[in-house]
Amino acid sequence: MLRWKYSRPLLIAITVIFAILPFAGDNPLSKAGLQQTMAVAFLFGALALTYDLLFGFTGLLSFGHALYFASGIYVTAILINDFNWHFLLAILGAVIFTAFLAVLTGSAALRTTGITFAMVTLAFGQAGHVVIARDFGDFTNGDDGLPVNADRLPDFFIGVVNTKYLYLLALGILVFIYFAAWWITESSAGRVFAALRDNEQRVSVLGLNPNRFKLLSFVLSAAMAALIGAAMLIVSGSASPRYASADITIALLLMVILGGPVTRWGAVLGGIVYSVLSTRLNVLSEGSAFDSLPSFIGGPLSEPAFTLGLIFILIVMFAPGGISGAYYRARFKYLNKGK
Amino acid sequence: MSTFLLILITGLGLGALYFLVASGLSLIYGLMGVLNFAHGAFLTIGAFTGLWVSTKVFPNPTTWTFIAAMIAGGITAGLFALLMEQLVINRLYNRHIDQALVTVGVSLVATALLGGWFGFDARFLPTPLWFMKAVTIGDAIIPIDRFIYIGVSAILLIAMLSILKFTRIGLIIRAGVENRSMVTALGINVRMAFSTVFFIGGFAAGVGGVLISVFSYGVSPLMGGSWLIYGFIVVVVGGMGSVAGSAIAAMLIGVTNQFANYYVPGLGDFVVVIILAAVLLTKPSGLLGKVSH
Repeated sequence: MLRWKYSRPLLIAITVIFAILPFAGDNPLSKAGLQQTMAVAFLFGALALTYDLLFGFTGLLSFGHALYFASGIYVTAILINDFNWHFLLAILGAVIFTAFLAVLTGSAALRTTGITFAMVTLAFGQAGHVVIARDFGDFTNGDDGLPVNADRLPDFFIGVVNTKYLYLLALGILVFIYFAAWWITESSAGRVFAALRDNEQRVSVLGLNPNRFKLLSFVLSAAMAALIGAAMLIVSGSASPRYASADITIALLLMVILGGPVTRWGAVLGGIVYSVLSTRLNVLSEGSAFDSLPSFIGGPLSEPAFTLGLIFILIVMFAPGGISGAYYRARFKYLNKGK
Repeated sequence: MSTFLLILITGLGLGALYFLVASGLSLIYGLMGVLNFAHGAFLTIGAFTGLWVSTKVFPNPTTWTFIAAMIAGGITAGLFALLMEQLVINRLYNRHIDQALVTVGVSLVATALLGGWFGFDARFLPTPLWFMKAVTIGDAIIPIDRFIYIGVSAILLIAMLSILKFTRIGLIIRAGVENRSMVTALGINVRMAFSTVFFIGGFAAGVGGVLISVFSYGVSPLMGGSWLIYGFIVVVVGGMGSVAGSAIAAMLIGVTNQFANYYVPGLGDFVVVIILAAVLLTKPSGLLGKVSH
């Protein structure tokens, strides 16, 4: 058994500490700036986990996951702004709408497999991005983005002093998605997902319909992505077409590889680390950290993508399994040391 | 009628640019099963080399310096592709997903490197004056640059098809696209073919990068990413591994894009993805696809 017996209490302890820190006197997390960064990071951690459900657990390489995230953001914003729905109802509506969208696009895309599947989902994702960025139907406000009407949100989510509640919201969503993903992957359907990844033919020989389970995995992860999108709308205050771009899906892929697929906590950690790094490296580069270096080194170093891309290449080449993979390898070695 | 001709030729010109990006992608995927996300970076590197040649090396642009810029862009991008294949792709032999992932990393690093050195603002690439002129066909006035894109692509298409058809390495590439394990089993060194395909693909993308800088009035580190997605779409519609399929699909998509954009501005991009989805769902191997990895 590779799992350390205290890992679950440790995980709960870390979560509780993160939940308490913003309220516990003077520490880095009591400042609104870091709270906002961490709230976004928690949401990306959760989103990476939904991507891991597809890519790691079910073996579906999708390049269109951003579509369902963006659908969650935009449908929530439109229902609140244009239709005056209560924000909780709007979130529910966005999740249901996105699930339907995933059923439609997923059942079309799942007629193909492998790289072709990746390309079809990329095409759907791009179509979604075009619809949002070009504003067909006058709903999305195009490239300018769509600020959510703050009057329709509860007061404790508005204003810089209340950033700690946004932080708690994001942490809550992360915990919820973590338990949902846990429940799904440990359920009997989750076993079938893993079996599909490992040997699809065997699954169909056993009399199960592979496409039905793939679609289930696709729709579940899309619906969870929509919920995270709705939370992102509240945390960031507005919807923007960049949430629908293929860059987001590629970032999700990097997060899962960075943290290590199929371990749940790996994807979450990868998402948080990636998100924090790309924000903090930006801050570093705006400061004077790289001024003392010659410009041909300092220039690229001030681009977060340079460092992240380099780490990513090294992980794929020399440390497959990412952070969690390295941890389990070390633990395996440790457990076998006495034998 | 004149508008029709203008849109048609503009569409063909756009298609010619798509072809330059897609042809290498298609060969690389067809032969090696690598979905090359770094292809956009090849394009950008070619464009920056072209910019360097046409501003620093030859400050006064003429027809010949522009040709030199295209060739220099092609060779630099081709060498970069070769380097990536040798240093990174080769070491992940037969790990297809990892190969695709590592190209994502290379593309991020290359984009950030160019952005860090030159900034993300678009820079103007000087061209000979006659590029700005237009020709009159019947009563249609058509900017001359469209014909340059079509001409250069046609030359590269013929060159690529000739290499594939008449040389020994071309024969190995064609055989490898159809059945790589059989070629290896016959004792033929496929690695040489891998390197050739990467160089040719990089070369075409580099030349494409220089021409795209003329088309979109600027060189920027981010230009590769947006063209890469069209490259993928063209490759998939045309069929993986088929250069001729890429050429046909590129023209089809370029022309459709322009006509759709003429009637409803912005509709073009949307129609292109609909074509892609339609082709994939009816004929998943693409128009002239040979491989089924």
